[in-house]
Amino acid sequence: MISERAVREFDYPLLALVLCLACVGVLGVYSASLGSGDSSLYLKQMMRVGLGLAVCLVVVFIDYRYLVDNAFALYAGSLALLFTVLLVGTEINGSKSWVSLAGVRLQPSELTKIVIILVLARYLADLNERFLTKRQLLGIAAFCLPPVVLIILQRDLGTAVMYVPIVGGIVLVAGIRRKVLLTTIAVVLLAAPVGWFALKDYQRQRVLVTLDPELDPQGIGYQTRQSQIAIGSGGVMGRGLGNGLQTQLDYLPESHTDFIFALLAEETGLVGAALILALYLVFLLRLVGVAESARDRAGILVVVGVFCMIFSHVFINVGMALGIMPAIGIPLPLLSYGGSSILTTFIAIGLVLNIHLHRYVYS
Amino acid sequence: MAISQDNPLLIHRLKLISLVAIGVFLIFGLKLWHLTVVQYDLHRDLAERNQIRTIPLMAPRGLVFDRDGRVLIENINSFSLFLYRNEALDLKETIRFLVEGFGIEREMLDERLREAQQYSAFRPLLIKEGLDMDSMAFLLAHQAEHPELRTLQQPMRYYRHGKLAAHVLGYVGEVSQRELESPRLSNHKPGDIVGKAGIERTHNEHVTGEDGVRRALVTSRGQTLEDVSRKPPKPGADLNLTLDLDLQTVAEEGLAGRAGGVVAFDPRNGEVLVLASGPAFDPNLFASGITPAQWKELVEDPNDPLQNRVTQSAFSPGSIFKVVMALAGLETGTVDRNTSFFCRGAAVIYGRRFRCWRAGGHGHIRLVEAIQHSCNVYFYLMGRKMGIDAIAKDGHMVGLGSRTGIDLPGEVAGTMPSREWKREVLGQPWYDGETISVSIGQGAVDVTPIQLARAVGIVATGRTARMHLTRGGNLQVPVDLQVSAPPFSAENLEAVREGMWRSVNDRGTGRGARVPGFSVCGKTGTAQTISREALERLPEEERARFEPNAWFVGFAPKEAPELVVAVIVQGGGSGGAKAAPLAGKIFQTYYEKHQKSQPQIQVAQLYD
Repeated sequence: MISERAVREFDYPLLALVLCLACVGVLGVYSASLGSGDSSLYLKQMMRVGLGLAVCLVVVFIDYRYLVDNAFALYAGSLALLFTVLLVGTEINGSKSWVSLAGVRLQPSELTKIVIILVLARYLADLNERFLTKRQLLGIAAFCLPPVVLIILQRDLGTAVMYVPIVGGIVLVAGIRRKVLLTTIAVVLLAAPVGWFALKDYQRQRVLVTLDPELDPQGIGYQTRQSQIAIGSGGVMGRGLGNGLQTQLDYLPESHTDFIFALLAEETGLVGAALILALYLVFLLRLVGVAESARDRAGILVVVGVFCMIFSHVFINVGMALGIMPAIGIPLPLLSYGGSSILTTFIAIGLVLNIHLHRYVYS
Repeated sequence: MAISQDNPLLIHRLKLISLVAIGVFLIFGLKLWHLTVVQYDLHRDLAERNQIRTIPLMAPRGLVFDRDGRVLIENINSFSLFLYRNEALDLKETIRFLVEGFGIEREMLDERLREAQQYSAFRPLLIKEGLDMDSMAFLLAHQAEHPELRTLQQPMRYYRHGKLAAHVLGYVGEVSQRELESPRLSNHKPGDIVGKAGIERTHNEHVTGEDGVRRALVTSRGQTLEDVSRKPPKPGADLNLTLDLDLQTVAEEGLAGRAGGVVAFDPRNGEVLVLASGPAFDPNLFASGITPAQWKELVEDPNDPLQNRVTQSAFSPGSIFKVVMALAGLETGTVDRNTSFFCRGAAVIYGRRFRCWRAGGHGHIRLVEAIQHSCNVYFYLMGRKMGIDAIAKDGHMVGLGSRTGIDLPGEVAGTMPSREWKREVLGQPWYDGETISVSIGQGAVDVTPIQLARAVGIVATGRTARMHLTRGGNLQVPVDLQVSAPPFSAENLEAVREGMWRSVNDRGTGRGARVPGFSVCGKTGTAQTISREALERLPEEERARFEPNAWFVGFAPKEAPELVVAVIVQGGGSGGAKAAPLAGKIFQTYYEKHQKSQPQIQVAQLYD
């Protein structure tokens, strides 16, 4: 199983980057738990990181080609799971997207992101043209719509939206004609006003408030404003771990989950926050390196999917904390408190390490 | 699998996307720099000035009522002093101010601060409850120097009748570190007020509400700008006791502060109407935060006012035990109703002389009269015939030596001795001479007043019901314990009841408990606390301290018992003289309240 070659060829820098980020997350959750008084939070987070790491290492040693070959079976399984959640799931914060398995709560809509990446990689692996045909684009849409619709039906719009950058990124890399791309953008822009009316009041509010936080100082804009105050008042060096006025006073209700970046920025300052952003950037660029060395098209597309998944999460989450993106409740990969997100990210990283390990063509 | 030739094209496109990512991160970095460096002063200012202050809103505990809906425990508004550690400039100076200005003990303060270290400095720390007017004025005068000290209005427990039923109601106090670690109170947080004794303790979760919290935006000067959020407190659930305030008052006035206990209950359903223990304490002392000096005084008081003598103290039952003996004798067939013994004022058994209380003796005497006149010799002789194990068996059957399970903390089980008990506990063999002492309720037998009340309740009704103080509440009554019937023959029970009836109504020792129109049955007891020989060796002036305990346990009415009363007056001397009249007053009050009032109303209606 674990051959000498595997030990030699393993991408240690990538794993080290991941562990650094996970440790920063545990620190953040620890600080948040000081304020809330629930000291078990960071222990749970540590356990989840440990579990994620174990699953990640298991994924590394199952050849990704085997996973890609069986992507359709996994896809069918995820659809069944999402459907089950819709029927018997647990409702948290208004979204019915959790399922309890042996005492562990999982969010299948998170794990399905991986499956979609694998399915698209499988579907596009044998196509060898510069651009996708219309038929292929329709095929991609046919694969993506069922899970996304099921997730929207779970009233988990935030998670559903996060499928768009993943699929979009894979399509862009696989190749799309400029004409088709522009048409799609035009259609989306024209459809946006219609979508606007389809949004719930609070969702519209979120978009509006991004444009002007003072619009609603007590509501959602208040959160964004306080997040900015937290980040800004941290200054260059920060107030020190556990000393953040804004976060310890618990004015940010989600300081250990969605606003963990604001918490870390207040307590570790510009230096700490910039370091976190640098870690993410180096991590993402390292993914490009793995894609470059991948032995086949499926491998490249899987890495592209993972790249887009993590980049889009960081983009929206940090953007929200800085007050330049709408407040969508999505986790910051590897940092936010939350089991499903950590597990999904670690599986994704397992796939990347796997592709890196199998980068040479042997027999 | 074929290796694609245009993979470099894909990589090229991915690199374009990663360029976008680099751009995004650059923008993030710029925004970050803008917030933390360019706008630093603004944000620092906003963060410092617009602080959110957490103001706890303590939920009032549930009210407690007696059986007729009269309030026993309520809540009044009081002011508590809180320290906001995050706002203290110089904590040492604050401590000095508290010690000198409010007379708060330094050790206590240090202890609290030490305990609080594991919690966020933003959590207000309770310093003192129930501030008086002087302290309030003093604080107001120094508010400008000490903005970190603030008062909050909080509900405080108020025991409307002071010491009345103190041992039933119990008291409250701040939850201790040890209690927080126990599973019983693990869902509480430091600073919470919890029940420490009595029903405040046993039904703590029932009467505990859910605290609320108000978070207000305040300026650096402490002015409240607006509420950020507000979670109103949920008051705790009310609790209805089975206690009868009228009867309880009669019992406590009867005890008049002497050491002793009174318990009365309804044998049909186990509802306790009276539970009084003297001397008592004032639970209000605890509500406003008892000082170490006050606590020390209570604990070191030789009369032990914190002790609940009804459930937490075991005494020799003295002659009350003859009721149990008589039943055991009949049930084992040792005697029947007509068996007679001859009492010549004493009997020599196993070479020792055992005296009757009447030196002249009772002559030929049968079971019913032996109970009526409380003849010792009759029971000595019967006890010798039965042996300790037969006595213990029936003693256990009426519940002696086992807890009643009443919903009060710390009940003791007492002792119903047997050969096996002595071997296991003391590691010694049983001496037959001891059986003779036990036969009149002396020696190793030790019972709580509530146990004795239960035993007499069984004699009265032939059944036993789980004794309890609350309707509803947290009481979980196991179904099999609710009402059960020990297998005693109705005929034998009737013979014992006849003896008890005569004791009260036919010139017996219990005549002090007689209530005209209400057929009270009962038995007196005068239980020695030290041996007669030891007493006689004492100097005259010391003897008063070792006067016997006076007992009376009875029930009424004989035909369909509704009320069992047990009274013990420690050092009261004769049961007939000191305990029976007090029980009589309780029966009388009960009778007037229930039986007599109904016919009167009917008569009044007739003449309308």
